Amino acid sequence: MRILIAEDETVLCEQIRRVLASEGRVVDVANDGEEAAFLGATEPYDMIILDIGLPKRDGISILKEWRNQNVDTPVLILTARDGWSERVDGLDAGADDYMTKPFHMPELSARVRAMLRRKSGRANPLFQKGKIEFDLRNGRVMENGFPIDLTSQEIAVLTYLVHNTGRLVSRTELSEHIYEYDGDRDSNTIAVFVTRLRKKLGTDFIRTVRGRGYVIEET
Amino acid sequence: MLSLRRRAIVGGSVWAILSVIIGVVALYSFFDALTQRRFDQALAERHLQIVIALSNSGADAELMTQFINDPAYDRPYSGRYWQASGPEGELLASRSLFDSMLELSGEVLTEREFWTGAGPNGSVRGVRQAVTLEDGSSWVVLVAESLAALIAERAAIRRSLLLTFGLVGVLGVAGAMLQTLVVVRPLKKLREDVSHRWDLETDIDPTNYPEEVAPLVADINTLLERNREIVARGRRQAADMAHALKTPSAILRNELETLKRKDVDVSQAQDALGRIDAQLRRSLARIRAANSGASMQRRHTNVARSVERLAKLFRGLPDLRSKELEVAVPSNVTVPIDGQDLEEVLGNILENASRWSRSLVSVTCRIMNGVVEILIEDDGPGIPESDRHEALRSGGRLDTSVPGTGLGLAIADDLLHAYGGEMKLQKSDRLGGLGVSILIPNKLASDLRADGDLPQAQS
Repeated sequence: MRILIAEDETVLCEQIRRVLASEGRVVDVANDGEEAAFLGATEPYDMIILDIGLPKRDGISILKEWRNQNVDTPVLILTARDGWSERVDGLDAGADDYMTKPFHMPELSARVRAMLRRKSGRANPLFQKGKIEFDLRNGRVMENGFPIDLTSQEIAVLTYLVHNTGRLVSRTELSEHIYEYDGDRDSNTIAVFVTRLRKKLGTDFIRTVRGRGYVIEET
Repeated sequence: MLSLRRRAIVGGSVWAILSVIIGVVALYSFFDALTQRRFDQALAERHLQIVIALSNSGADAELMTQFINDPAYDRPYSGRYWQASGPEGELLASRSLFDSMLELSGEVLTEREFWTGAGPNGSVRGVRQAVTLEDGSSWVVLVAESLAALIAERAAIRRSLLLTFGLVGVLGVAGAMLQTLVVVRPLKKLREDVSHRWDLETDIDPTNYPEEVAPLVADINTLLERNREIVARGRRQAADMAHALKTPSAILRNELETLKRKDVDVSQAQDALGRIDAQLRRSLARIRAANSGASMQRRHTNVARSVERLAKLFRGLPDLRSKELEVAVPSNVTVPIDGQDLEEVLGNILENASRWSRSLVSVTCRIMNGVVEILIEDDGPGIPESDRHEALRSGGRLDTSVPGTGLGLAIADDLLHAYGGEMKLQKSDRLGGLGVSILIPNKLASDLRADGDLPQAQS
């Protein structure tokens, strides 16, 4: 799952990026309003963490612009402005959730997971298929109670496919959601990740539809 | 201090009354002198008539009556008398003197002399003179007239003057009042303009005012602009400080979380940071309250609109979605509080009520005796009376098992005080939990009946 963090404080950005990456998210960072507006409107993010007080453009106007352009990516506002009017205005502008600084990182992680689950319509953070259990909260995979080691890229591929269970996902779409904005998007490497996942989780866990993409069937 | 209107009316009235008194005294004196002069002139003419009659008749009493044809001299005690006394004790007198005579005191001069004394029927004023007839005899001739006529004439003139000056006085006072109304009208307009322009945040045009008031208007414009700048700068500084302190605090908190995950004991550092964050939040809230208190602007905010905006937010919050929020606020009630500040007050109290309620939070509103009361009740455990003061203290958390900083009610209380309002914590009779009563004076508000004007509760 690919997330955009629009925050001008680089240290805080890196902290959030580190935590989300450890949970298998791919994170892009925008340090000013103009860059955030551009990335949010042009890249297919699964959710956006948006600061209101950004340099160059304020977060509320960016959010309104996205909604006017029919960008329906879930947005969590993360801001130092903790007034109730500002919260109402933020949600009125189209935000899905609102958090104020200073915040607890575990709470931010939980809200990010909840928003991603709501987007994919998944109520349960635990995904189970056969003997394999995948915890969307921390990216851990267990087989019969024993952990299976996955690389961060493998977790990213698996997370996106699980969030889209039952839907065919093309290699291009997958690459758009597991690579960072300036990452090397070689869709051939997707096949390598899927092959490795099949080896670790079983060949029938992910089904390949030749020439079209991949799907995890509903259990 | 005495109002300008009262000063002008009192001043104008005093001046009008003083003018009337001075006028009355001056005219009294003038008319007194005039009537006296006319009275004396008539006496002198009558005296001359008696002297001529005396001379022409050769001091013959019978013959004299033919020369004097005033019937008042014939009617006893008519008030008009003459008397002539000869060198050998002869005494000629009008019949009006009847059996009395005019008293002479002192030497009578050959010059005409006016005198005042006792007459046969009250005080008289007269004229006397020693005259020598053609036959060489010397006579003292007196003519007198009762003062009653003079006094009556003077009284009639005074009555007439009093009536006229009374009317002038009333007109003067009315004029003073009318003038005051006209003079203070620009000040009334200025007050309305100031109130209106606070909302519009534009200047008042001095050319719309008389030249005496225009400099004051210009000063008020400067004052308003300065106040707007101070308030805006205060808010900007508070927002900048919030951003400048809260972001590093978030970074510190995250670093501590990272260390904690590596099994480093950071509990004390986290507690300390928590206290710093709470103090920061309270201080920023106090700056905001002080800033709001310093503002000359008193915008009116619609209570129902603010409550509905917050209700929409609370109904959408994931952790509060399961609880019911019941709102029954009349749509036309306003309070003289900035919209953001009202929502800050209500938001903090609603958050507290939502966290503690079992399933229901209620917001109602009424106006009693020019005070708007917004009542927020919940069906939670409530706060015992002995702990209610503590709940309004800075960070006075009564139960740490429920998330929150314990600052919400205290922040709301600070803000309300900045606007002259107050907050009361009580037991909710209807729902059984805490009832928070917000009282905000509003001179413009008229009483709403407890039932008739309230909308149906919406949840």
